[in-house]
Amino acid sequence: MDTVSFPDVTQLAVPIFIAAILGEFLWIALKGRGGRYETRDAVTSLIMGAGSVASGILLGFIAWGFFMVLWEITPLDLGTSVWVIILCFVLDDLRYYWVHRFGHRIRWVWASHVNHHSSQHYNLTTALRQTWTGTFTFMMVVRAPLVLFGFHPALVLFVGGINLVYQFWIHTEAIGKMPRWFEAVMNTPSHHRAHHGRNPRYLDCNYAGVFIIWDKMFGTFVPEQEHDPVDYGLVYNIATFNPLRVAFHEWVAIYRDMTLPGLSLKQRLLYALAPPGYSHDGSRDTSETIKAKHLARQPQDSGTPGF
Amino acid sequence: MPLELLLILVVGGISAIALLLHLSGRSQPKVMTEPEAREAWFRQFPENPVVDLTLAKDGHAALIQTADGSAPLGLVWSFGADTVARFLEGAKLSPCQQGLQLRLADFSAPTVQLHLGQAEAALWQELIEGPSSPQPRKQEV
Repeated sequence: MDTVSFPDVTQLAVPIFIAAILGEFLWIALKGRGGRYETRDAVTSLIMGAGSVASGILLGFIAWGFFMVLWEITPLDLGTSVWVIILCFVLDDLRYYWVHRFGHRIRWVWASHVNHHSSQHYNLTTALRQTWTGTFTFMMVVRAPLVLFGFHPALVLFVGGINLVYQFWIHTEAIGKMPRWFEAVMNTPSHHRAHHGRNPRYLDCNYAGVFIIWDKMFGTFVPEQEHDPVDYGLVYNIATFNPLRVAFHEWVAIYRDMTLPGLSLKQRLLYALAPPGYSHDGSRDTSETIKAKHLARQPQDSGTPGF
Repeated sequence: MPLELLLILVVGGISAIALLLHLSGRSQPKVMTEPEAREAWFRQFPENPVVDLTLAKDGHAALIQTADGSAPLGLVWSFGADTVARFLEGAKLSPCQQGLQLRLADFSAPTVQLHLGQAEAALWQELIEGPSSPQPRKQEV
């Protein structure tokens, strides 16, 4: 009988999320700075968050079943001591970095993650604009090594939940910069604002969950620049507050592209697996071409962070 | 956490936040001036400079003609407190009580409701559907 269990921290944090959103809104309203709120945008984000929790309840058994199969296979069991929990948390954050990076560089995974970037606002409700379709990206396989190395599936999901809860507070413009040591090691509102930017400079940067050191290690760190304020949203912004369209628009776009007439099998697969912006005839822009075109217009930016 | 309690928290929380935002005036759509409409277009299509621009009287939308004469007309419109822009390729236009409704061939931007007076709606319809190249009213930039 397997008796290891941990609390679902994301569900437990719901009252804190609501209180913090109200607090941030009141701060902005009273101070007249520190962010923006818009009714339909915020409601859409909150519904996406609720839908994400519902999706986890309905489809969570798939990932859980997969992890339990791995747990049956592995001969390793590291237990649940405090040091094992801390180690699991750090390694899971490395896992998060790569899943997040895949989420921006593989269109199939981007189709799930895109909705998190689909708001032109950046406030605490944006943090809750989460995917409904994460299960279909099969990114649970990136967690497989953790289970195979002896971290119990319940522990792996527990630290993953803490990781998500940590990321809630960094979705704000109300906090400028944290102390220098903190900015150097941890993901912060400043670092994550850059990640949400649609400016050419900020495309495909700062994938970190909790520790920004992964971006520094793997060459994807771009500090927020005072002279280049972050423009939030997508390169090609959506024009709908309908949660169903927000959740599924990129999946629909993939389907339409993959079923275009006259494509080779390779081209059809690339429409699903290549980076967002791929097109068989080169008619669309990827992050790379957007940056290159920006530098052609603004050559003085060459060599600055993000270019 | 019991599912019932989670449900009450979520529904209650969303409702309270929505009500608070609406009552504090956070539901007003963005009103654009001509320079703001031009900037909003540039923000989306920096490679397609505006040649002519027709701003709706309510400031919620603007028709755009770009330097590329062969390109279809563009539209920039208010989306909540922000803006979005699209070329009107394949758009279907139909008159409605408020003015005009545009149906775009885009799952992420399905329809645009343009609030236009009768004369303004007729002009916009002519600009969008006109058989020859459209002649927006505003002077060149």
